[in-house]
Amino acid sequence: MKRRIDLGLLYSRSGSYSLIGEACRSGALAAIAHINADPDLDISFVPVERDPGGNIDLYAPLCAEILNDTGARHVVGCVTSWSRKEVIPVLEKLGGALWYTVPYEGFESSDHVVYTHACPNQHLLPLLDWVMPAHGKRAYLTGSNYIWGWEINRLARETVQASGGQVLGERYLPIGSTDVTRMIEEIRASRPDFILNSLIGPSSYDFMAAYRALGAEDAAFRPDRCPVLSCNLTEAELPALGERAEGLVAAGPYFRGLPGWPGAGSFGSSHEASAFAAVRELARLLAGRPGAEALPLADLLAGPAGIIDPETHHTRLPVVIARVEKGAFRVIQHRGEVAGDPYLSRSRAALAPHLRVVS
Amino acid sequence: MKRPVRIHNLGGAEAIILHRPHPTVQALTRQLTAIGLQVRQVWPALDASALGADFVFFDADMGHDEQFPWAPGTSPMPMIALIGSEAPGRIEWSLEAGAHAQMLKPVGDNGAYATLLVARATFDAQAALSDEIAGLRRRLGERQTVVRAVTLLSGRGEGDAEAYDRLRQMAMAWRVTLEEAAARVVAAGKDGDGLRNRT
Repeated sequence: MKRRIDLGLLYSRSGSYSLIGEACRSGALAAIAHINADPDLDISFVPVERDPGGNIDLYAPLCAEILNDTGARHVVGCVTSWSRKEVIPVLEKLGGALWYTVPYEGFESSDHVVYTHACPNQHLLPLLDWVMPAHGKRAYLTGSNYIWGWEINRLARETVQASGGQVLGERYLPIGSTDVTRMIEEIRASRPDFILNSLIGPSSYDFMAAYRALGAEDAAFRPDRCPVLSCNLTEAELPALGERAEGLVAAGPYFRGLPGWPGAGSFGSSHEASAFAAVRELARLLAGRPGAEALPLADLLAGPAGIIDPETHHTRLPVVIARVEKGAFRVIQHRGEVAGDPYLSRSRAALAPHLRVVS
Repeated sequence: MKRPVRIHNLGGAEAIILHRPHPTVQALTRQLTAIGLQVRQVWPALDASALGADFVFFDADMGHDEQFPWAPGTSPMPMIALIGSEAPGRIEWSLEAGAHAQMLKPVGDNGAYATLLVARATFDAQAALSDEIAGLRRRLGERQTVVRAVTLLSGRGEGDAEAYDRLRQMAMAWRVTLEEAAARVVAAGKDGDGLRNRT
């Protein structure tokens, strides 16, 4: 007889980042189906879904609704950092936990959140470490005007400069804006070695289109010469990008068809895989421990060690760099598994050799 | 003046929490450990081993000067006041003790990282200002030497303005401060002749 445990799902199924929300949601639902069908587990999950519809002001109240009106103590959800920050005070007040399954900018370690996708030492730093020897150290940075773009570009600037490189330009667009002309003009004029794209949604799609057009005009801007890099693009957004994504290089813990993580099964993208891994790890922590579903997160994690570091609540993940070729990601470098280091305080020694200034 | 905040070298840093055992200590320890610091809780007083710590968090509610192995306001590392009671007398004491930043109690899920960065930036800024002030004081103290050097140099028929100008050129040629050049002129003797070949 399985214990039935309510599990909150808080993903936006409409709005500017709905493709990512949908990918995470299907990963979580796949894990729930998997667990519910497993006769060896004494638990089953009952999904409790709320859809903020991409409206930032609905995350906190809908999270409170899940925690107040149902038995759920764990919520899988949120895509933007902004929404995660909105939800954390609710989790603290009502004693819930959030399982956050998308890449983010690091510098957080809430006692009420588990982070199952990559942070900068698992995406940005390896990506820069790959691109600078391969293409050069002259960077152009773009981003959407909020914490993700700001922080990724701050860290990129610092890393590039510490390696003796140069940042030729740094420009932001308001979320949703597609006014990419100025960025393209700056790139045309400054001729960087690579471009870091931390734009999200339609801004990113239009930027990729305009940059592809620039590459058609001048071969110096073709992806083999001056690639666009991303820490947040996955297969989830390839349908929206189509041909524009060709040549884009991304870092992530998983690309479609890659074996190893998060174990058996095939996933559409790392978003899906990460949400799957989160729900499966939660099931592992709850199985065989009646009443564990009511425990605070810290007590739950004090149990038998799993994929989550009890100090940082981050996970050890594969670090893979891949390029879009004919509509699919093809792996160009697999860097093994790396523990999440949200404050970049643990992997500093390992990083030091890359930071040597070349004079 | 723009000073970049030193962000990346918190890993392995040692923080001491000078506070009686309390849930606030637990919550703060959790945050600091997550950030990558080594944490030590101490009560009721710091001994000399605290001199090697990178950060000291101290209880502003029950604190007093005798808890620290240094004079008030002269800690060799950034200090953070843990404030429960916002009574003005306690705030005043924590400032005199040398707080570079503060956290309000009860400490919860976040806030430690920002506090560490602010405390260290403030500590660094204070240290830089203290150095600058000490240098300026030293130079002020040398005013009399400058006057004597100018008098010595002008004693050879030059006016004050020319003598001062010559002293400045000596300082530039020797790559020292004006005060240092003046000291050399005074030390070299009455007419400064011994220095001429050195310019």
